[in-house]
Amino acid sequence: MALLYGLIWRLLLALVRIKRATVSWLRVRLRTWKGRFWQRTMAALLLPVPVSEFKQKKAGADQSSDSDRDGKGAGSRRSRWISDGISLEKLPVHIGLVVAEEELSYTDIANMVVWCMAVGVSYVSVYDHHGIFQKNNSWLQEEIVRQQHNLLGGDDSTFNMELLKNGTDKPQHFVVSCRPVVKVLSPEDGKHSIVQAARKLCHSVEKKEWSSKDISVSMLDVLLRESKNIPDPELVVKFGPVNSTLGFLPWHIRLTEFVSLPSHKNVSYEDLFGSLQRYSACHQRLGQ
Amino acid sequence: MSWIREGELNLLEKISANILMAGPMPKHVAFIMDGNRRFARKKKLERHDGHMQGFNKLAETLRWCKHLNIPEVTVYAFSIENFKRSKEEVDGLLDLARQKFERLLEEQENLEKHGVCIRVLGDLNMLPLDLQQVIAKAVVMTKNHNKCFLNVCFAYTSRYEITNAVREMAWGVEQGLIKASDVSEALLSECLYSNNSPNPDLLIRTSGEVRLSDFLLWQTSHSCLVFQSVLWPEYSFWNLCEAIVQYQLNHKSIQKARELHREEQALQQLEADCACIAEHLQHQGNGKPADAQRRQEALQHYTVTREERVQDFLQALKHKRDTFFTNLCSETVLT
Repeated sequence: MALLYGLIWRLLLALVRIKRATVSWLRVRLRTWKGRFWQRTMAALLLPVPVSEFKQKKAGADQSSDSDRDGKGAGSRRSRWISDGISLEKLPVHIGLVVAEEELSYTDIANMVVWCMAVGVSYVSVYDHHGIFQKNNSWLQEEIVRQQHNLLGGDDSTFNMELLKNGTDKPQHFVVSCRPVVKVLSPEDGKHSIVQAARKLCHSVEKKEWSSKDISVSMLDVLLRESKNIPDPELVVKFGPVNSTLGFLPWHIRLTEFVSLPSHKNVSYEDLFGSLQRYSACHQRLGQ
Repeated sequence: MSWIREGELNLLEKISANILMAGPMPKHVAFIMDGNRRFARKKKLERHDGHMQGFNKLAETLRWCKHLNIPEVTVYAFSIENFKRSKEEVDGLLDLARQKFERLLEEQENLEKHGVCIRVLGDLNMLPLDLQQVIAKAVVMTKNHNKCFLNVCFAYTSRYEITNAVREMAWGVEQGLIKASDVSEALLSECLYSNNSPNPDLLIRTSGEVRLSDFLLWQTSHSCLVFQSVLWPEYSFWNLCEAIVQYQLNHKSIQKARELHREEQALQQLEADCACIAEHLQHQGNGKPADAQRRQEALQHYTVTREERVQDFLQALKHKRDTFFTNLCSETVLT
């Protein structure tokens, strides 16, 4: 009997995986197949099975399917993206791009960073739980600059990014940075940073500078932001089939909205904009 | 209504449970039971009734978990942020909690029969004293049960929990039980309210919201997160099965990621120990660099003494926490 249940279980998981792969494949196809007829047919065929990935496609995103590829150029793309950003009710200040996949595509991540900033997001962080992006930080930076040229034209002055390296930021207490910031993060910026802050506080207590009773949430928060001033991400777009944050900034994600996309490879602007629309529509009650 | 629901699964549910249990099952599931008020609005009920239905659903979910051999469940019952709600609603929720915990005390025999251990995690001194006392009695009454575990997060947020853990470690330093250099990820985990539980394997949030709302942020860093759009009072056995299937699909990749994290943690601990040794040998030494063997011996000795120190500290912390609850219980006897 146990063998039979085991077999049925394997079959069940195989079916779910096939459904996921089919939906993913169809998502890509639907983008190229024009016409609502095809979209409706495919949605109808998959009706018995939840098709949550399709819900992200709203009117705004549909219109813009091919204008990336027509010859209108960087200028019109830039203005379209800016107007897309303005059209949203709310835009996140910080977007986290969490890649939960084994193979990484620097070009696709670079594209997303450039799109995020073109739409008006001021802080973009990139994360993978092996820390590979951080190890190859300079490669990623070059790719971002390259895509910035490709997608937005060679006019550097409009769009200056601060590409922050791993390690401590310079203190920026009274400086308001107008330039978008890109940060490459790894698991070290998560629990390990919290432990380092805790160690610092305990050292102060050891030296009798503070008492343990003085330690508060805001104290720990300030200490965490002293060395790496990362604002809380309002939105995390997670790429890949793994449903986990995989150690991404545990302290900072208390109110973060999570949107999942199947993969970061060949991701389109519409996918990203769909996530932004979803974020824009969400309503946080903040406990109330 | 009772916390413990008796009753078997029906045939279809039993078959589905057996199929699921052929694969890896989560040992600890956490629930963010969201959607009570929206349910009340939808069914044109009072908010209070929505919360009552929510509690009933909790009892039913515990029954399903028992049949699915899931021994540990953690639920987010009341956040520190919820104190911001209207006085009427907050008082209603605290009253409901009072009722339910008092009911729990009446079910002592049943709880013993099923071996249910109740723990309440949170900044309990934010609650009215009488509620603290009732909670303390429930916790002390069930603390030796070990068949299944229900952790209720009440007056809880994850940031407060992490800060409290840091405060406890600082207390340990003040008492001379540990050194600041002993602070590590593992030690911080041992100082959280949830230190008696393994990290959740699966976190489920209902009602369609896709955020963690300051719940178990540290503990769920490598957990499977499942967001479901069903409202909590409408949660069904099949919703739970769906979430478990998600867990099973993610199981291998998450295990790999957890293993990687454990290895990195061990490496960081080793580096920290080596740094302490290096400093110590420098102070002791006469200018000559210590040879590899001496360093190795010093490292082993240091690690052993550090671990002993930490164990003594954790015992003291456990005693402090147990005393908090027993004191609350004895206060009730006196009043």
